[in-house]
Amino acid sequence: MAGAAPSMLTWALPQGQTVSVPGEDGMILRSFRFVDLESPVEYFNSWLTPVPHFFVRNHMHEPSELDASGWRLSLGGEVEKPLTLSLAELSKMETHSIVNTLECAGNGRSLQRPQVPGIQWGKGAVGTARFSGPRLRDALRRAGVKPTGKHVMFRGLDEVPGKVPPFIRSIPIEKALDADTLIATHMNGSPLTRHHGFPARALVPGWIGAASCKWLAEIKVLDAEFVGNFMSPGYRFPNQPVKPGDAVKPEDTHPLTALSVKSVISGPSDDATLKAGKVVVHGAAWAGEADIVKVEISADGGATWDIAKLGHDQAHYAWRLWSYDWKPAKAGDYTIQSRATDSQGRTQPATPVWNPSGYLYNAIDQVNVHVS
Amino acid sequence: MFRKMSANGKRLLKKVTAKSDMAVSAIALLALISVSPFWALDQKAAPANVTADLPAGPMQAKATTACLECHEARIILQQRLSRGAWTKEVDKMTKWGAVVDGADRDALIDYLSSNFSPDKPAYGPQRTTDKNGSGRTSK
Repeated sequence: MAGAAPSMLTWALPQGQTVSVPGEDGMILRSFRFVDLESPVEYFNSWLTPVPHFFVRNHMHEPSELDASGWRLSLGGEVEKPLTLSLAELSKMETHSIVNTLECAGNGRSLQRPQVPGIQWGKGAVGTARFSGPRLRDALRRAGVKPTGKHVMFRGLDEVPGKVPPFIRSIPIEKALDADTLIATHMNGSPLTRHHGFPARALVPGWIGAASCKWLAEIKVLDAEFVGNFMSPGYRFPNQPVKPGDAVKPEDTHPLTALSVKSVISGPSDDATLKAGKVVVHGAAWAGEADIVKVEISADGGATWDIAKLGHDQAHYAWRLWSYDWKPAKAGDYTIQSRATDSQGRTQPATPVWNPSGYLYNAIDQVNVHVS
Repeated sequence: MFRKMSANGKRLLKKVTAKSDMAVSAIALLALISVSPFWALDQKAAPANVTADLPAGPMQAKATTACLECHEARIILQQRLSRGAWTKEVDKMTKWGAVVDGADRDALIDYLSSNFSPDKPAYGPQRTTDKNGSGRTSK
């Protein structure tokens, strides 16, 4: 057929109708089965994102049964003493908390041109929460990592449809032994919810969300990077800039690790009509393992930039909220842009860095507004 | 875990897609929603009205059985891809277990790339219900 005729179900279900997903309030529904939910950017007005407003990214089906008392975490591979830990045993280990901005590597994918396949995230596959649980290194040290141990693999309890490869990834041993890498059991002070990996998930701070495996069931120390779909060809980035639309050979890519520098405008909203006078432009900025140094705002197409005020709340891996008092000189249409710079000297680019899977979109953000 | 579509669901789906009369099809579809939400088998607690559907066309039924066994239609509805990109996706998903008869491959790629090409308007996702207020359709 020639065009996308409205389906009968669309007729039966008007687009404005909401879908009930318990515990997930007002989220943008990218997929219900399996669950993928995006936060509207207007939610980015608190330093810690409430769990019902925190994005959900699943690669496959959530575990159909999660029994806290029967759950066990195995730790093996290149270790002296393989372990099995219950939730009660995990809870007896020293707890550490990290406020971390978690972002899906594909956040912003829908803004890439040409378009690329995958969940078509807008700007909201990102959120910040306080994650708590034992340090991964404490568990690894209890098991005794052998000198041959170079990478640490995580396997979750995701239920795999068809012949889809299981969601298994690994991180280098150095990051696994970092004092801030956790086996997280809590999020914002409460036990993890089902959508966020109950009863335990890896928390690899500053790195792409896919590193922080949910519904953790197995930790395995390996002598090399895990070989599997979600390490290659998945979650890899070209070594050199790519012309938009071009193919990239696997050998010319590397695994994604830390997040890029990025800012998002959470208000005013795109296409808003504003009254003349003072307008507070606000949003969030983050930089993975680096710190945000400044956020600049332009209302004249990037000809001039002013410094935004950074919020008080800060932590090493967490975003900074920012705000800027803008006084438009006259009525009219404006494009407001935000541009973040981090402690590694990275600045958001004016144009997206295109790549075949649409990872790490971090172009200067913008909204169009009308001042009446 | 991965479950097969029920025989009842397949029969009703065939019935729905074979009818040319829109009103009859809509009634059958609504009956299907209320009686046999076969697409919601993995989410038993979910209400029946959570799913979307693939657009009408000669490959709708076959695309439904090939693709929606593992994921729902929204995953497809939101894509805007070239024919080359759809070809890669169909071949990847076939490798991952989507049941596509070799004779149907090109027609399936035609169906997907004509309905979900880069020139089509952007997909407008729904919102989840907000317990503190009414939901909106996002832009």
